[in-house]
Amino acid sequence: MKKRMNWLLGAALLIAALCSAGAACAQVTLEVMNPRGEIPPPPTIGINPRVPDLAGKKIVLVDNGKFGANNFLDVLAAMLTQKYPTATIVMYPKPAAQTITDMPKWYPTVAQQGDLFIFGVGD
Amino acid sequence: MPGVYLTTSEFLDDAKSAVKDRGMPSLRMVALPADTYYRSRASQDELKPIATAAFAAIVDDLVRPLTAEEAHPSQVQKQLESANIKVTGKDYQDAYQKVNDLFLDSHWADGLPIVPPTPKLVKAMLAATTRSPQEVIGQVAPKQGTATIEKIAVNSVMAGAKPEYFPVILAAMDGFIDKHYDLTHVQASTGSFTPLVIVSGPLGKELGFNSGIGMLGHGFRANSTVGRALRMSLLNIGQTWPQVNDMALTGRLEAYTFFTFAEDNEKSPWEPYAVSLGYKPEDSTVTVATSGNPVVLGGGAVAPWTGQGVIDQMIARISGGGGFGWFHSQTFVIVLIPDCAVDLASAGYTRKSLQAYMFEKSRLPFEKLSPATVKLTQEAIADGRISPEHAQMFKDNLKPGGRVPIVQSPDDFHIFVAGGSPGYDLLFSYPGPNWAHQTKKVTGATLTKAGR
Repeated sequence: MKKRMNWLLGAALLIAALCSAGAACAQVTLEVMNPRGEIPPPPTIGINPRVPDLAGKKIVLVDNGKFGANNFLDVLAAMLTQKYPTATIVMYPKPAAQTITDMPKWYPTVAQQGDLFIFGVGD
Repeated sequence: MPGVYLTTSEFLDDAKSAVKDRGMPSLRMVALPADTYYRSRASQDELKPIATAAFAAIVDDLVRPLTAEEAHPSQVQKQLESANIKVTGKDYQDAYQKVNDLFLDSHWADGLPIVPPTPKLVKAMLAATTRSPQEVIGQVAPKQGTATIEKIAVNSVMAGAKPEYFPVILAAMDGFIDKHYDLTHVQASTGSFTPLVIVSGPLGKELGFNSGIGMLGHGFRANSTVGRALRMSLLNIGQTWPQVNDMALTGRLEAYTFFTFAEDNEKSPWEPYAVSLGYKPEDSTVTVATSGNPVVLGGGAVAPWTGQGVIDQMIARISGGGGFGWFHSQTFVIVLIPDCAVDLASAGYTRKSLQAYMFEKSRLPFEKLSPATVKLTQEAIADGRISPEHAQMFKDNLKPGGRVPIVQSPDDFHIFVAGGSPGYDLLFSYPGPNWAHQTKKVTGATLTKAGR
């Protein structure tokens, strides 16, 4: 009788253990692959030192050709002239893309126009 | 040279993303308020309060000394995207849902549920091509993510594509990534352009592409999932997201699947488009082209039409626009329904003669060109944007009495035959140069008769 009871107890413990593990047994892990492209980071460069004051400087306003940018830069030019009368304003519009073959070669020409630039308005 | 970049509040994230992509993360910017700037920009008087409000910030950006990080920004480290991801749920349904939540919340999908790209499914996709999983086919704009065959396979699984479609998807990606194709413009432009993806040759039928009624609609797995696989590949490998660096203002008409269909080579009276380019009849190609929204012509099920009438209406549209002064290098994609093509063939047109007719009839009288357009065209001749072989024709016509071509060559009218009976004919155009059109041959297929 005792032997039979021990057997029953053992069976009951086994069943209990299996039940408690049941949740874990039913868990499902999905392994999936990353869809993102790896991006080779470009070399990082800093920006140029600022000027202490705009007075006496040649400020290049670059109109990017978007509608209304010329209007905004004209307003800005008037404000700059009023506040910094000794500054010189140079309007240097970016050529439309359809008028130029090699745009990357144009950008360095901005630096030849003055001391500072303001580029806008994107987009 | 110190400077400051002006943008608007709606484009500030885009600008920040772009300067990081180009290695100058500390470029100083001032964002004008979008909600007032755009509606004021036609008037200097209305812009004054906006400029006044921004003035101090603009000046400050030009005079405020640099921080050490601005002067010498830290080098960005490459973020590895190679490790697999494990997601555990209480059961399969839960794990599946968690994968979808992860991908959708991380902006790794198009907003619709995906098929989890398990290694087993990706391996099955890769088995459809002889191309190596590690083959790099190029960089995907705008962030120049590296496109490997394996990455495209992962995205194709996510889109629900069958493995046998995979070589077509790869050929389309070859086109998008070609150095002559301006993928940045498609991926990021405010113009909301939609790519066309057109299969020509025997693979179209073998893979079950819909070329008939509803060819641009839903319901056909090849059309839908090939397009979606490309959408997902461009999104994930190029790492774009709306309002961040994909600034398509309205989104795209076919945002999830692009305009993806196959030519109907059985009903067409002409040789397949691929053959017209010099490929063999047994070859299949995929053409990718950037397009605005199509012009719909023809009578459909409700009105009479003639092939000649359809073509002449297209010519009127083409020559009536004038574009933005790019007309000397545009391309057009013309999709004629089989009935229309048959009608034109009965009247004696071949594809070549139809292209020649459209080229001749769409020329503009010199007197209709603005002085600015004449100047642009002269400059394009001088700097080679109008190719030397076509330059003389433009020179000869840039004078009183001349008739100036809309495109450089009759071949810039790309004519495909597809659609229903009855159906509508479609004119797709792109107001830019011919960097928006590529055709690539499907190769390396292992699961289909064609495309091997």
